[in-house]
Amino acid sequence: MTSPSQKLVIWALVWFAILILTLPIVIVVAASVTSGNMIAFPPEGFSLKWYRKILEARELRQAFWRSLQVSAICVLVSVPVGTLAGIALTRYRLRFAAALQVYLLLPFTVPLIASGIGMMLVFGEWRILGQVWPVGIACAAINLPFIIWSVSSSAAALDRDLELAAQNCGAGPVATFLHVTLPAVMPGVITGGLLMFVLAMTEFLVSLLLTDARTVTLPVQVYNNIRSIITPDLAAVSTVFIIIAFAAVWLLDRLVGLDIFLKSK
Amino acid sequence: MTDMPGPVSRLRYPLGWRVMDALERGAGILWPRALHRLTGWLLIAPALLLVAVLCLGLWRIAQGSLHVLDRATFLPAEAYTLENYRTVLDSATYLKIVWRSLSGAFLTVVFTLLLAFPYAYMLVRTPSPFVRKALLAVLFLPFFIGQVVRAYGWLIILGNSGVVNDALGLVGVTPMRLLFSFPTVVFGLVQYMLPFAVLLLAPALTAIPRETEIAAGSLGANWLQVLWHVTLPMARPGLVGAGLVVATLALTDFAMPAMLGGGSQDFIANAVYDQFFRTADQGLGSALALVLVALGSVLVGAVFAAFGAGTLAMGGKR
Repeated sequence: MTSPSQKLVIWALVWFAILILTLPIVIVVAASVTSGNMIAFPPEGFSLKWYRKILEARELRQAFWRSLQVSAICVLVSVPVGTLAGIALTRYRLRFAAALQVYLLLPFTVPLIASGIGMMLVFGEWRILGQVWPVGIACAAINLPFIIWSVSSSAAALDRDLELAAQNCGAGPVATFLHVTLPAVMPGVITGGLLMFVLAMTEFLVSLLLTDARTVTLPVQVYNNIRSIITPDLAAVSTVFIIIAFAAVWLLDRLVGLDIFLKSK
Repeated sequence: MTDMPGPVSRLRYPLGWRVMDALERGAGILWPRALHRLTGWLLIAPALLLVAVLCLGLWRIAQGSLHVLDRATFLPAEAYTLENYRTVLDSATYLKIVWRSLSGAFLTVVFTLLLAFPYAYMLVRTPSPFVRKALLAVLFLPFFIGQVVRAYGWLIILGNSGVVNDALGLVGVTPMRLLFSFPTVVFGLVQYMLPFAVLLLAPALTAIPRETEIAAGSLGANWLQVLWHVTLPMARPGLVGAGLVVATLALTDFAMPAMLGGGSQDFIANAVYDQFFRTADQGLGSALALVLVALGSVLVGAVFAAFGAGTLAMGGKR
């Protein structure tokens, strides 16, 4: 069925995709362990001195800590909000459902630069600009569709009769929600939560707009440093992001399995 | 039966049940039965509120775009005017930037789908669970790493004394300026969009039964004919969804043009940023931002109208 020429074409394109997806990761990790003072290839020898250097750099440590806070706030806000919305969209008959879909897709369809600048103006009016938590709220708002997708695809798989059966056995609405609906959508909630955490951790443009010198997050700090000069310490910071990504992929696979994204809707 | 009647058996009533009863009673008081047909709206309200912050921001931008910058005081003037939009539409510079963003987005969609389709196809059709897992892991890593770090990787690879030029130097080719050019920005965007595109395409391809392809093949179609007449048409919702997402994300991207374009390959988002933070002309910046929103909405609206929401629809089957 699969002819040799088909195999050749598909594999060639897939290998090219794999190459461009992984090459920057490999190069960044390799550059971070150089013992030279410049990024050069082949690397001049192995050393971890750049990791020691970033551990000593206070501004990087603080930026990392702020990024963690932003991610935590983003997850705390978006997981309950997105879970309830995903359940509502799937399991309840809402009027104007089509309009609601378009509205809830706005964070995805409105350009990030516009969302970011809009929130900068609004937060400035509310006098909350220059703090860390509004950045978390902003990340929750702009990435909301991700968790709604994730939850609603789990919720769509839940048989409506299970909830009816629970209620038939005397369970009230709260008990039905906690014991039937919520466990059924849990894979979606976990996937969505993880996505939201990592997306907030690596979020760049909106953070760039909403932070100042005292509240920069790690991606913004990396961006600011790149503009001046490229040194291996940034490669070391980038490797931290890469490690987080590896951990996230591993966790995702352990918790729900990566294959969950292949299910047809 | 040793069970005693009366108060003692009430104590045996498990704590969890009593907590649940209290919760049910509380829920019943806070949200009486009469309101139950509105439960869906109650659940969705927080999400509507969160997105409302975004809408409020757009409204503020719209207001800001109607005031020109008063060059005497460097504050927005009081009067309402459409002057900012006229400046944007008349300016050859902005026309060039808009054109560059549109053509960049178009090229990104073409190349991304070209790479994403075989990738998603392989992901769905491969018989080996190991290959599937490896392909997924390779896809998710860059997705989770973020744009800045990925662009930084390309800076190291493509820089004047970067990996590519070092390798070319070994075979005697003089170093080339690879960075800060339009093709490099498009290349960076393709790499950035690939995971999105594959993840949106894969469910659509999963929905295509392998048997239809086999049937077409056994009726004498070669694989190109199967691809053209069977697989691609059946994957259309996924292709539309993926193409749409890639187009809007690429059209409005900031980081890749900023980092791989080095200021010479600005997209609209970069121009907006410059108006706000370099020139401090918020009115003009707001007008530009709204032009970008309008461009994006036209794109989204046209595709929605033509094909429906594709795989972007939330809520699944009803």
